Amino acid sequence: MNIIVCIKQVADTETRIRLTPDKKTIDTSDINWILNPYDEFAVEEALRIKEKGQGNDIITVITIGPERTTAALRSALAMGADEAIRIDVEDNLDSLATANLLVDVLKNFEFDLLLFGKQAVDDDNAQVGTLVAEKLDLPCVTVITELKLDQGKVTVKRELEVGAEFISTSLPAVLTAEKGLNEPRYPALRGIMMAKKKSVDLREGKADESKIVVTGYQYPPERKGGKIVGKGQEAVPELIRLLREEAKVF
Amino acid sequence: MHHDLASREVFWNISYNYIIYFLLVVVSTIFFIGIYRRVRLWRRGRPENRFDHMGKRLLAVLKYGVAHHKILKESYPGIMHAAIFVGFVLLLIGTTTVSFDYDVWGLLFGQQSFLRGPFYLYFSFALELAGLSALIGIIMALYRRYIRRPDGLTNKHDDLIFLAGLGIIILTGFLIEGSRLAATQPEWARWSFVGYGVSLILSGLAPDNVLLLHRILWWSHLSLAFGFIAYIPFSKLFHMITSPLNIFFLSFKPKGEITSIDIEHSETFGVSHIDNFTWKHLLDLDACTRCGRCQDQCPAYLSGKPLSPKKLILDLLDELNRTAKCSSSNAVTNDALNHTLVGSVVTHDELWACTTCRACMEACPVLIEHIDKIIDLRRDRVLMDSDFPRELQATFRGMETNYNPWNIGHVKRADWVQDLNIKKATENDTFEYLWFVGCAASFDDRAQKVSRYFAKILNAAKVDYAILGAEEKCCGETARRLGNEYLAQMLMEMNISTFNELHVKKIITTCPHCYNTLKNEYPAFNGVYEVYHSTEFIYKLLKENKLSLNRINLSSKMAFHDSCYLGRVNDIYEQPREIINRIHLHQLIEPGEKHHEKSFCCGAGGGRMWLDETIGERINHVRLDQFAAMDVQQLVTACPYCLIMFDDAIKDKGIEHKMNTVDLIEMVAMSLNLKCTDEEADDLVVEGKGEKDLFSVDITS
Repeated sequence: MNIIVCIKQVADTETRIRLTPDKKTIDTSDINWILNPYDEFAVEEALRIKEKGQGNDIITVITIGPERTTAALRSALAMGADEAIRIDVEDNLDSLATANLLVDVLKNFEFDLLLFGKQAVDDDNAQVGTLVAEKLDLPCVTVITELKLDQGKVTVKRELEVGAEFISTSLPAVLTAEKGLNEPRYPALRGIMMAKKKSVDLREGKADESKIVVTGYQYPPERKGGKIVGKGQEAVPELIRLLREEAKVF
Repeated sequence: MHHDLASREVFWNISYNYIIYFLLVVVSTIFFIGIYRRVRLWRRGRPENRFDHMGKRLLAVLKYGVAHHKILKESYPGIMHAAIFVGFVLLLIGTTTVSFDYDVWGLLFGQQSFLRGPFYLYFSFALELAGLSALIGIIMALYRRYIRRPDGLTNKHDDLIFLAGLGIIILTGFLIEGSRLAATQPEWARWSFVGYGVSLILSGLAPDNVLLLHRILWWSHLSLAFGFIAYIPFSKLFHMITSPLNIFFLSFKPKGEITSIDIEHSETFGVSHIDNFTWKHLLDLDACTRCGRCQDQCPAYLSGKPLSPKKLILDLLDELNRTAKCSSSNAVTNDALNHTLVGSVVTHDELWACTTCRACMEACPVLIEHIDKIIDLRRDRVLMDSDFPRELQATFRGMETNYNPWNIGHVKRADWVQDLNIKKATENDTFEYLWFVGCAASFDDRAQKVSRYFAKILNAAKVDYAILGAEEKCCGETARRLGNEYLAQMLMEMNISTFNELHVKKIITTCPHCYNTLKNEYPAFNGVYEVYHSTEFIYKLLKENKLSLNRINLSSKMAFHDSCYLGRVNDIYEQPREIINRIHLHQLIEPGEKHHEKSFCCGAGGGRMWLDETIGERINHVRLDQFAAMDVQQLVTACPYCLIMFDDAIKDKGIEHKMNTVDLIEMVAMSLNLKCTDEEADDLVVEGKGEKDLFSVDITS
């Protein structure tokens, strides 16, 4: 079976985000890039399907972005993916433009499963997976935490606030991975060395103009320091007054 | 007195004595076949060059073997071993001399025996002492092994066979001598005082019976002695050969250096089955005498973990022997050879319990190298199969993406500096020392404070230094000891390239782990620098009169904890104590024997800082209890890991009111009356403890 996982390279979650002086874009000079954690669940799930299979499954990872995003593909290859495609695009695209680019590549592919992370942790739009499914006219289940394949069908679990639902669909299907689906592996050195030798298939990307434009960024408000009201019992009334009137927790 | 005539007739009262020459050939053949079988096993290991520095190797055998340098560190077993060793070595020399005198000097060259007259008497007297010494040693050993039964010793049949056998050889020797003296009654008999005593007892027997008894004893003694020579390579006695050999092939690399692996040119990494060890590591297994000293010092074992360094070595030895049988039946592809050691011979819990504290290697009298083996087994698991405790994934990821095991954003590395006046190496052309701050000292709250004090001290001494700030990466120590050699080498190479771009020559660091890796492991990657631990550096500043310390009144109940990587691994024991003695008014308390090279790990080394500790007691609690038992109120450390571990242990045990920790740097800063900021002046020592507490004589009063 052919499994395709679409992945994105994102800024490390520990990165201290700095804006350019005009606050129009993010200054990327100090950023460490990682494979989007939700996409990692998707890659891991593909690997587990392959490990349970007959040995003839092929996992292809696809990303969109500049040269630096090859590192994300290498991470997926090191984990055990077989092939990698990078659609070469310099600019940041909105979700629709991204989905269109992916569809251009995917429509020439035969695949059984198309996996995504439920969202990228940088812009948190959570749209690309569903948009691609729509454009390819494929069934789509989002935020899955369990996946079972059985005789050409796939059954997945979605956690709901009140419990869980189980959904079954025919293949090919588009699924987006939620935390809890699995625990992604740490690539062994053997995998890393093999990944270094694999070639990345580079595709020319002709992106549509993004319909959504980010006009500016703003830092979160700075955290204010704590306040010491006083000591001992005498401080209690004042503390309660502040909690009620200023912090408004009562 | 006609002592000039003193001598003894070789083969007196013995017929068919030529038989012994045939027997000797048979016995020697078995002996050498036995040795050959073992050597063949060692040669299954990978190659490793241990044939350099021949002179130093011989000296090591003299020091650790002949002079018992490590054996005597434990008094009872040390004296016991020395008594047996000296006894049998002298007896061997004696017997060889007699044989040379009789067979070569006499029979071959037809010369007159030189074993006569006064020389013979001294010779005979010396051998008498030797026999007695061996006998005393054997009795001590039997008493220890079968009556006192210390925990570190495990008894096998072999132990009884060889102890009883050696004892009987000595006893029959004395009886032969006694019966000979009883029959011949030479006037110089008293020189052989033990034999003389025996002869007095036998003097009541009829002369014929004495002669018969002598003959029976003589042949029994000979058979037993020859039997033992043949038995050597198949028993514990083999350590007579393997231990000196193992000492001879000792490693000359720094104590704290883990052997590198060539990642680019290897297909497999680490040790997955027994033949992946080098031949020296396989010889190690045969050199083990099961003395148990490693286990007696191992913090993992003593805190109830399944790891015992002794058991590890013996399990690997069993595997070597077991697979020898497999390969001799020509089944190299047999399952028995293909399974990985970890999971079959060594359990995961054993593998990950090691703190690499080096207590085992320090204790081992025959210089077995435990740590390299454990790291090689970890490398196999991590690099080949990503098979490691799951909590490590975050640690590895942190070191990979943010260059620190905490996985705190790498740009925040120098946030602790705040308003302090510290140069940045990348922004300054000149600086004499690079201060490599390290991860713990950069990211841990408590350790950050120590860093701030250290900056103040360096500023006060007008040291020309700089830090790398966000350009600094984890030194690679933790990744290396956790078996992630790939990540470790990546980090080391990144740092070395930064150092070299900035023409760094001298490095200071406050973390003993960074210190060890920068000093002892970077040279293998062409990073050679003059590296100082802050303790050494402060000591140097004091010697150069660049700092003058004031005495301050601290708790009289103060102890210093020797961290593994400062003490045992790098032999820095006295500098911290001298610094403390210049500040502290009272004598330092030492926790029983658990200090200097017998110090007990805090539990954080070998990457254990990042692993859950779910089996047995917590090592930091065990260590803290050792100090608590001595009523210690202030515990001085010189390692950020130790500081974190002891602060945790104090909090876990809820004894904040009784004990606190202080870093040596904090102590020096206090003595210099330095305060980091006005705000911090109040918590110079620990959270909840003010300056006042520290300066008072007794914190509980």
